[in-house]
Amino acid sequence: MQELKRKSVIIDEVEAGKWVKDGMTVAVGGFINSLHPMAIVRQIIRNRVKNLTLIGAGSAGMEVDLLIAAGCVKKLICPYVGAEELAPIGPIFRAMAQRGELEIWEVDEGQYYAGLKAAIMALPFFPWHGGVGTSYPEVNPDIKVFKDPIKGQTLLAVPPIEPEIAILHAAISDPYGNIQHEGSPLNDAILAKAADKTIVQVEQIVPNEFIRRNPYRTTIAGADAVVPALFGSHPFASPGFYLEDEQYIKEYVAAATAVLKANDRGLLEAYLKKYIYEPETHADYLEVIGIKRLFSLREY
Amino acid sequence: MAKDYATDYSIPELLACFLSREIENGEEASVGAALPIARAAILLAHLMHGPDIRLMLSYTYTNLFGVAKLAPIKSEVDFRQMIWAEGYFTDEDILHESKLYSRRRRFFIGAVQIDKFGNSNLLGVGDDYKKLKFRGPGGIGTTSHTSHAKCYYIMSDSHSRRLFVEKCDYITSVGWGQGGADARKKLGQPGGGPKYVLTPLGIMDFEENTKRMRLKSVHRGVSVQDVVDNTGFELIIPKETPTTEAPTKEELETLRERVDVEGFLMA
Repeated sequence: MQELKRKSVIIDEVEAGKWVKDGMTVAVGGFINSLHPMAIVRQIIRNRVKNLTLIGAGSAGMEVDLLIAAGCVKKLICPYVGAEELAPIGPIFRAMAQRGELEIWEVDEGQYYAGLKAAIMALPFFPWHGGVGTSYPEVNPDIKVFKDPIKGQTLLAVPPIEPEIAILHAAISDPYGNIQHEGSPLNDAILAKAADKTIVQVEQIVPNEFIRRNPYRTTIAGADAVVPALFGSHPFASPGFYLEDEQYIKEYVAAATAVLKANDRGLLEAYLKKYIYEPETHADYLEVIGIKRLFSLREY
Repeated sequence: MAKDYATDYSIPELLACFLSREIENGEEASVGAALPIARAAILLAHLMHGPDIRLMLSYTYTNLFGVAKLAPIKSEVDFRQMIWAEGYFTDEDILHESKLYSRRRRFFIGAVQIDKFGNSNLLGVGDDYKKLKFRGPGGIGTTSHTSHAKCYYIMSDSHSRRLFVEKCDYITSVGWGQGGADARKKLGQPGGGPKYVLTPLGIMDFEENTKRMRLKSVHRGVSVQDVVDNTGFELIIPKETPTTEAPTKEELETLRERVDVEGFLMA
């Protein structure tokens, strides 16, 4: 008789990349220059996936700009695409928006979480006051203005924002998908709850006992898949593990800015080739960056 | 009792000290990286008169009252700030905590365009939304935070007719809507709305009944005419427009030695 065993959900980034197919609605977590699931993002680009509806983070970074630049995105739902000081507005995002080549489902951060809550609560909409009297309902007709039946207040009704897959990066997990972030999960926990399926890259896969010794730190209690990916957020930061790698973020920004300012894709194509199309796996990518560089990103 | 004012200060330092007097002890304040003057104002308020201010810093709750020198913060999620954490929160927590924001938290925003009722625009400029001439960052968190914050301040590092417009191409933050003291209540906005607009030329507030923008003070060396010439709508100009109150020597010293240790605001 077969012995029943609890299932390990560990897969590698190549396998994880295959979960994302053309036309899907996919969320990519993290926040600005931190915690982005780059090992899987690079796989998606390598696989030349097309026509995604991309749900960026509540404030996303260059990973969204990169996915747009690589031609993977048809429609974008994302309150912010930028790298703060390094790029106040994502250059490709800006270029495509100005050329009318990207479908943007305009949403502010409060409406964004309202939409995720509608999905989590299996509601047709979630009400919110942030955006009443602004241009949001005009530029995004899916967000409706209405008067509530209790107090007669004018509110917005935000429809569900529902990822088929949420792709995240965290600190650690056990083999069963118990995820722990170092510090705040930022917007990852809510994305996981709203999504049909969740894949989380982690710096380190640890024993289940490790998770049980501090269960308060578990931020996502049941990821569908877990991917071991040390330095998997590079060039972005991973709290407790490494700082953001400004040199590499700036390299991308410069390549993307050449597209924005001069419509010149030369640097961008070179960037995509060197960091994404040529290396076949996450380990290959890390070899391009080099051990010395990676170790220099320590906090201390 | 006469205040001991400083005489050698930059405009950003002036505005940081002005704003630090706005933040009250016992309030909560988010220390971001996007607006260095606002960041400095919050930390200065904390050190000078606000030991009970609760800071929100890199998604931690903390208090830095006892810290001698505050390190520069490079980003909204600079994880090195986590060493001070008394607790953590998520992004969805803060975006939706309207009750708390309306009672205890002020907010600071930038803008691409501002109209005479303090409505502002971060979406972009251009007639065709699908093909904007200039695509801005979008409202990001400002739309919801300006809806519910106790009050908010609009900051700009320029003062021009391109900034101060009759009508914003798009509105991402509601100020006083179409005007009138009940404008925000009619729009169901729980927060107190814009209180001041701060630029390198001066500080503007809003007339009590119409909520039209009004000149409150001009900075040292700036004339009322300078402000009028660079504003694209008719500002209410009071009979007497004072000069913006200077920082005190103590404020400036604390700012330079403990808050803005790299001298970012001195430039």
